[in-house]
Amino acid sequence: MLWRWQLLKAVMKFLEQPPRFLFFTGKGGVGKTSIACATAIALAEAGRRVLLVSTDPASNVAQVFGAIIGNRMTDIPGAPGLSALEIDPQAAAQAYRDRIVGPVRGLLPDAVVKGIEEQLSGACTTEIAAFDEFTALLVDSALTANYDHIVFDTAPTGHTIRLLQLPGAWSGFLESGKGDASCLGPLAGLDKQRAQYGRAVEALADAARTRLVLVARAQRSALNEIARTHKELAAIGIAQQYLVINGLLPEEEAKQDALAAAIYEREQAALRALPAELAALPCDRVALRPFNLVGLDALRQLLVAAPSPANASDDEPIALDAPSLSELVDAIAADGHGLVMLMGKGGVGKTTLAAAVAVELARRGLRVHLTTSDPAAHLAETLHGSLEHLKVSRIDPHAETERYRREILAAKGAKLDAAGRAMLEEDLRSPCTEEIAVFQAFSRIIREAGESFVVMDTAPTGHTLLLLDATGAYHREVARQLDAKGAHYTTPMMQLQDPKQTKVLLATLAETTPVLEAAGLQADLRRAGIEPWAWIINNSVAAARPHSPLLRQRARNEIREIDAVAATHARRYAIVPLLKEEPVGVSRLLELAGHAVEAA
Amino acid sequence: MTAIEVYDPALCCSTGVCGTEVDQALVSFAADVDWAKQNGARIERFNLAQQPLAFAENAIVKGFLERSGQEALPLVLVAGEVALAGRYPSRSELARWAGLVETATEPKPSGCCGGGSC
Repeated sequence: MLWRWQLLKAVMKFLEQPPRFLFFTGKGGVGKTSIACATAIALAEAGRRVLLVSTDPASNVAQVFGAIIGNRMTDIPGAPGLSALEIDPQAAAQAYRDRIVGPVRGLLPDAVVKGIEEQLSGACTTEIAAFDEFTALLVDSALTANYDHIVFDTAPTGHTIRLLQLPGAWSGFLESGKGDASCLGPLAGLDKQRAQYGRAVEALADAARTRLVLVARAQRSALNEIARTHKELAAIGIAQQYLVINGLLPEEEAKQDALAAAIYEREQAALRALPAELAALPCDRVALRPFNLVGLDALRQLLVAAPSPANASDDEPIALDAPSLSELVDAIAADGHGLVMLMGKGGVGKTTLAAAVAVELARRGLRVHLTTSDPAAHLAETLHGSLEHLKVSRIDPHAETERYRREILAAKGAKLDAAGRAMLEEDLRSPCTEEIAVFQAFSRIIREAGESFVVMDTAPTGHTLLLLDATGAYHREVARQLDAKGAHYTTPMMQLQDPKQTKVLLATLAETTPVLEAAGLQADLRRAGIEPWAWIINNSVAAARPHSPLLRQRARNEIREIDAVAATHARRYAIVPLLKEEPVGVSRLLELAGHAVEAA
Repeated sequence: MTAIEVYDPALCCSTGVCGTEVDQALVSFAADVDWAKQNGARIERFNLAQQPLAFAENAIVKGFLERSGQEALPLVLVAGEVALAGRYPSRSELARWAGLVETATEPKPSGCCGGGSC
């Protein structure tokens, strides 16, 4: 099977002279786990001993290889030389929380214990707990001595690495043992020593040992996002980076139907407009495959082109009977006013869906204020003033975050020494900061929702809400006392928890990882007492009823995910089809919601 | 030397930047603690989110949490006795408890007391 490796090496730049550590990064649903698996298989077939480390919450690595794996190194049957290890970051964070909170449960008041758990439920804790699990694999030890390559289907963010690099963080934190570095707090309860974290970070920044592969789809916003990741990681010394564009629609397929042709054109245009910093990286392209990426055989064919147009003669109708967005908006409109918040991971189309909901409401003669944080904002611009009853405003998350950072640094940083200031600046780069800065900007507009509709394309996570509501215990106490006297009292948190006042719409795509990520967001919101009102499945190929065999295969794969949303995750849901053209402007937004296109 | 123990509320970020508004008192206090330690004071800080066991194992602190809740933190013990609750001490207070002499060059904008009693 060495021939296949020779071929792969020749075709895929990211496989040339592979170093010891290979990291794949990219947002959920781009297929980085599949590419990591295919890479691990290829390396093993070339005679190397390979350990594949998966942290995907949707880890289908076990399913892919037909073996139970879990949190221990397991040999993969049918793939000599290949072992796999699944790390569940949520479980790692939970184990850490248990270690901290377990001993005081029952000793301290329940409210206090709950508060502590919430503090330890953020993204930072999860990421650092996962990094803790990595460190043993990154430093030379007996544990990994048997392996030539370790392939990770994930990579730590710049924020985590910078925290671990900060000398001030270590001196302030580990030496005194009394955490002054916020996000390093979690390390207090973790096992590793400072030296071990230091060596792990060193290994990451060593081009001879580590290669980072950025994985993205050929979409403008996705490419911009991966360009930011690239810059952030390059800035902290991870120099050896490669780019893989996954899931490209092949040109032959574009001839099959109008939708496929439009997708092909859109993807090619996105590639032509590749951000300059990405264009400088070695780049590989992986075609969209007509088959499910499960099983060794399927994965072996992911990276090498195999001419296998699946079921070309297939005319079997795709069984899909799902409500449209317009039907969902009927129910929202019934209340006459309220706050509608679109929530979901980056890249699922929150801004477009928010605009579509706003246009649908305005079309019904209801007053609507659409607030978007879309940095491109061309969507908001085309809508502005184009429809009666619709008002559009924009909040720039970067500008808001920068302003917030400057305010805090000016107000708090003045008295600090250089180390303290560096620490504060790093705290202000945590993912929480942007969310808080943007939420503060939005909270000004929220008040309008008592009389008209306010539609937002962003929402704080449950974790942030709970932290912002740190005084909520006090508020609730006040509310209870006032209630007893028959008075009326509302906190912002109560407004968000009341489905009559606030409807949270969870946006997702009909793919495994995005659906699981949305389910994670839902669990997070429920923790804060907020029940998502509906799910919206965006960009559905199935709902677009394609003719091209490749797209039809993708449509059939979607059905399983759509069924899962309908049956287990969502109280109510709607499906929005993938459109031929970008949904900009009123008529195309109405088309998204399920109306026939009107003649222009 | 007298031991000073400070029981902090549960903070995601000990600098407090994750909250709705940043607490200047937290940063100032961190600087004051640093100053006092350099001058030989024995001060220990406990974060509820990171070292809850320290809260549970001290009968005074545990009782305080049960009675007043975590909103009433921080709590400062000097030689094991409650010295202050609900706010962070000033540099002068720290100096007095630790038996330090504050340098005259240190500008002290803290309230009316400035270390003495009001």
